[in-house]
Amino acid sequence: MSEQLQSDFDKLVKTSKFSNEEIQFKKNYLDNFIKKGFPNRKQEDWKFLDISQIIKKNISDLSYFNDYSKSNKIDPSIFVDGLEHNKIIFINGRIEKIDFNFEDQNKIEIINETKKDISFDYENSLIDLNSALTDKVLKVLVKKDYSLKKPLIIYHSTSDKIKSTNINLRLDFELGENSCLKLIDCFGYSTARSFINIFYNFNLEKGSILKNYKIDKFRNNNLKYSFNNIEQDNNSVSETFILSAGSDYFKNEINCNLNGEYSSAFINGIFSLKENQQHEIRTTINHLVENTKSYQLIKSVLGKNSKSAYQGRIFVNSKAQKTDGYQLSKAILLDETSEFNAKPELEIYADDVKCSHGSASGSLDENSIFYLMSRGLNYQQSKELLINGFLMDVVEKITDVEIKNLITNIIGLKQ
Amino acid sequence: MLKISNLNANVENKSILKDFSLNINPGEVHAIMGPNGSGKSTLSNILSGKKGYQVSGEILFENKNLFDLETEERAHKGIFLAFQYPLEIPGVNTNIFLKTSLNAIRKARGEKELDAIEFLKLVKEKAKELKFDEEKLNRQLNVGFSGGEKKKNEILQMSMLAPKLSILDETDSGLDIDALKIVADGVNTLRNDDNSFLIITHYQRLLDYIKPDFVHVLMNGKIIRSGGPELAIELEKKGYESFN
Repeated sequence: MSEQLQSDFDKLVKTSKFSNEEIQFKKNYLDNFIKKGFPNRKQEDWKFLDISQIIKKNISDLSYFNDYSKSNKIDPSIFVDGLEHNKIIFINGRIEKIDFNFEDQNKIEIINETKKDISFDYENSLIDLNSALTDKVLKVLVKKDYSLKKPLIIYHSTSDKIKSTNINLRLDFELGENSCLKLIDCFGYSTARSFINIFYNFNLEKGSILKNYKIDKFRNNNLKYSFNNIEQDNNSVSETFILSAGSDYFKNEINCNLNGEYSSAFINGIFSLKENQQHEIRTTINHLVENTKSYQLIKSVLGKNSKSAYQGRIFVNSKAQKTDGYQLSKAILLDETSEFNAKPELEIYADDVKCSHGSASGSLDENSIFYLMSRGLNYQQSKELLINGFLMDVVEKITDVEIKNLITNIIGLKQ
Repeated sequence: MLKISNLNANVENKSILKDFSLNINPGEVHAIMGPNGSGKSTLSNILSGKKGYQVSGEILFENKNLFDLETEERAHKGIFLAFQYPLEIPGVNTNIFLKTSLNAIRKARGEKELDAIEFLKLVKEKAKELKFDEEKLNRQLNVGFSGGEKKKNEILQMSMLAPKLSILDETDSGLDIDALKIVADGVNTLRNDDNSFLIITHYQRLLDYIKPDFVHVLMNGKIIRSGGPELAIELEKKGYESFN
């Protein structure tokens, strides 16, 4: 791995315009990654789904070089219909288009950076890999008191021109005081097998609102890892919704630091998996000051030979009195080969807090099916209606009506 | 309409119904009364096609062998069971469920399916008749409904689907007097020369409002006595033990 990685890194440096300082900066991360290697099941965070094994099995040896000096053709058929939106389009990890036409241009700033440090402690080697190999770090800055008029959709797509089997991309978002951003990630559905490593860093200033919807719906052979780091100041709100359904492998990781009083984080997710898919959501919510709140609801519907895992960690430090933390996961196993893993972790050092967790899994309730069938629905209809209802419960948590309707349609649920 | 002959039903080798026979003709209202564990709910489950029972004997519904029909096919043919414990179905909107159910049955009967407007008109009308809070039609099916609301919802479904044979499994349990009257009114409105009812209950009270043509006493899986409405009054006075 390391020889390939080293030579691909050299090619990247050759085709880019990085300064010597930038090259050295990236090289440090590369060395870190080579030292650590891909995460594997020996690490607690990766014990349910071992990414190093999964990559080995699906892609064997990765190649890392992408020529970011050449542009890719945009296929407009990927665009979401029926919802006016701003766009950022990534093809094969390269930014092909940035379009904020619906917005007041004075209120948004787009900054390109190359040298961008990681502001928090981490062990995760995928962040090292990301920092070593990303082309640019795009920073979107929403100014004070500005709410974007339309959502921003980030399209993640790959074309058959792709050279490597690994894509890394990074975006930073800075939400000024009392600003608001609705961000939808749409993942493409290429048949090419590649490992896509995405890192977002959000900084939410006082009173700002972030709504991030991650939509991986259409069946594809990609292996994806997405990491969101969210820093929240007073009264800020983050709402994350994850539809984890399309890729062969997808792990969504969210680290949220509630640094300011009355800040809150909501994470809702759906796993809808079929044959041989393996998906995971891992969250860490750090309640660091008084009066913060977090809420998480994760539901799985698992077909034959599929596997999902949810690891939810709630940390409450000794200062964080009046914390309100909640997490619940539920799974419907449609086949005896389906597997769901839940690992709730509550680490609480304050004494005046309200924290709870729960997890339940089982097959579809036969009594409910009988009830529906006794009203004239056949078995298939009854099953679909129950699954629909089971998942709708999560979609209902989406606070933006327009986006809720969009996602309901994308999933194919009935309201 | 319904002809049950020598029905035996076992659950895990425990005999629940023993040589049970009953005839219900079009337009008749039959009440089955019995103590806990006498086999009342088993009977209603078997008529609706619930799995998990070992059965022998014969049940004919309009001369068709009921055992050949799946649960949904029985509903299509006009059998309706008002559940003793209606299930809560999270995430499923009551209106959408009702429309799916009604149209599945209409389709099976070769009738035109109702569009959204026709459906809403009908459901609002029926809800009003039953004093069923319209706002609840937009809520998740039975979720957070009180016991009485759940039972009223069963009667609303019955009245929407207009079945030929309605089985009411202890619909009166958990109802206050006002709700009991509304439920009874719902049944009485639907009652005509073609529709039949099988009312399963512990108490005579419901039968003050829905006058049965026949009353049967079920004990240990067998009908031990049949008679007219007066039998229910006698039962209420003397208790089940005196019949044993």
